Amino acid sequence: MAKAPESISLDQLDKDQMKTFSDFLMSYNKLSEICFTDCIRDFTSRDVKDSEEKCSMNCMEKYLKMNQRVSQRFQEFQVIANENALAMAQKTGKH
Amino acid sequence: MALPQISSADQAKLQMMQEMEIEMMSDLYNRMTNACHKKCIPPRYSESELGKGEMVCIDRCVAKYLDIHEKIGKKLTAMSMQDEELMKKMSS
Repeated sequence: MAKAPESISLDQLDKDQMKTFSDFLMSYNKLSEICFTDCIRDFTSRDVKDSEEKCSMNCMEKYLKMNQRVSQRFQEFQVIANENALAMAQKTGKH
Repeated sequence: MALPQISSADQAKLQMMQEMEIEMMSDLYNRMTNACHKKCIPPRYSESELGKGEMVCIDRCVAKYLDIHEKIGKKLTAMSMQDEELMKKMSS
């Protein structure tokens, strides 16, 4: 009997983990696509050239850094939007 | 603030709305990241660091994207409300 709530929370954990994992896979695929299209333009040779590999690695690092910055700015905007919404609610509530 | 009693059906609806909002937010975030990457990061990767100009561009891009998102949302709701009123008038 005592096991029921635990198994529910475990299910929930699995669901969240699955979501995180699938998000990770999606961003992995997207990153590959972006860096491949931006860096690999020469198809006269089968091998990945040093310059192409360097470009791809830089592309990946840069993309992650960009993502970090975008998420920072996005969060800042959300905080402001929340504060505005709260202020509005208080204002209209007082009337 | 005392919350009024909510029926379980309403609660389920509320939760669905919240989930939809989260989904919508993450879609917005992904689209914005895509758009700003396209607009701010030129496809030459001689460096792995973000340049100063790129950083400024990203900051502005996010701000502008969210601005436009809000503006379009407002316009869209206004238009759909207008539409609804028109439909009501037509049918009455």
